[in-house]
Amino acid sequence: MKTAQTIYQEGSHRWVVIARDPSKPNCVIDTNEYLVSREGDNLLTDPGGSEIFPAVFAALSTIVDPMSIRYLFASHQDPDIISSLGLWLECNPEIRCYVSRLWSSFIPHFGGDENSLVAIPDEGMGMPLGSGQIEYVPAHFLHSSGNFHLYDPDARILFSGDVGAALLPPEEDELFVRDFDKHIRHAEGFHRRWMGSTEAKLDWCERASRMKIDMLCPQHGSIYQGDDVMRFINWFAELPVGLSTFRHRR
Amino acid sequence: MSNKPTHKTSSGELAGFVRLNEGIKGVVLIAFQINIMALNAILLAHRAGEVALGFGVISKELRSLSVELTGLMQELSNDAYLAVNLISDLLRQERRYRLLKKATDLVANPSPALRDVMVRREEEFSLITHRVRDVRLRLLDRLEDARKLCQFGTAISRSAKIEAAYGREYGRALAEVSQEFDQKIQNILPSIEALCTGMQRR
Repeated sequence: MKTAQTIYQEGSHRWVVIARDPSKPNCVIDTNEYLVSREGDNLLTDPGGSEIFPAVFAALSTIVDPMSIRYLFASHQDPDIISSLGLWLECNPEIRCYVSRLWSSFIPHFGGDENSLVAIPDEGMGMPLGSGQIEYVPAHFLHSSGNFHLYDPDARILFSGDVGAALLPPEEDELFVRDFDKHIRHAEGFHRRWMGSTEAKLDWCERASRMKIDMLCPQHGSIYQGDDVMRFINWFAELPVGLSTFRHRR
Repeated sequence: MSNKPTHKTSSGELAGFVRLNEGIKGVVLIAFQINIMALNAILLAHRAGEVALGFGVISKELRSLSVELTGLMQELSNDAYLAVNLISDLLRQERRYRLLKKATDLVANPSPALRDVMVRREEEFSLITHRVRDVRLRLLDRLEDARKLCQFGTAISRSAKIEAAYGREYGRALAEVSQEFDQKIQNILPSIEALCTGMQRR
């Protein structure tokens, strides 16, 4: 079963990561879900695929009542991100799921409708959460054409979806990056293939470098904190990505 | 879930209804051929005049039969489509139920709200299961109607053979047509029987 671990807490404001499921089927990619909680307002980022729903639900129940989740945020449309939506709506039909406007008519194939999906405009938007405010930050084409990250300015945490993701071998699947150089090797192939646009990448790096980020939390792999955040942004800015790096083999 | 079929049985049921739809297409094709044949037979009987009056009446009956059979098959096809939709929904519900149940089992103390969700799922599942059963019963009724219609067709195609014997110089042509009628009707009956057996087995 996945475990829930608090990575930030300030009063009732907290971030909890739900990660590392040793019992998940090998064919299903491991994912990190983050609970952002503030004065009883609970938001879950990239809640995951249907098959891992039980594990996420159970891990979450050790921290909060999963039925109290009020908001979901889907960074993009992939099945490992949001195919569990129908199950969450079974539990609480009042849940609202925030997603790029591009995907608001595609995601209902997983569940939900125009009432349960809230379309985020391309330029992003803010959203109140408890007494604070979170921001949906544009990250289009990284990797999806309608892609957002979630920034919590008070906690100084950026949930970065697939940006920063790493496919870690089981013996190196620590929750936080400990050795950046060693870790980033597991992120390189992923970013080269999945991040298709150099222009989008540089635009994101420029904006991210101006944000105050203590933790950069990807959907797969380990969390970057402290100086590793800027190390990652610089590494990513330098990394060749896109079609020019892709050698198609027949 | 009480009366909850397994995923395997729902999948098998889905395949059964898809096969039914394929069988229906075969019957509709034969019914169309009978219709054209009957139209030609009516014209032939008209040319033959008084000696083929009875044959003409029988040909009209066979034409009506083919139209009725086509309508019946259309209704069966609609029901089969409805059943495929319902069973697809059932399969989706089964999967959701399985995942929600797993989540409930993993939670130390499931909340009453979560238990309510499970109860609602079970009720919904039971409702769809009953609707599938109703559609299957309706399909069986319609298949029984189709079987009776074909039995009637068999009887009148035999009458056509007898009437052809009175056709004098048109006798041979009428006999050929009546023989084809009989063959076509005989082709439909096994298809209808197979569809009935396929549905009853479930």
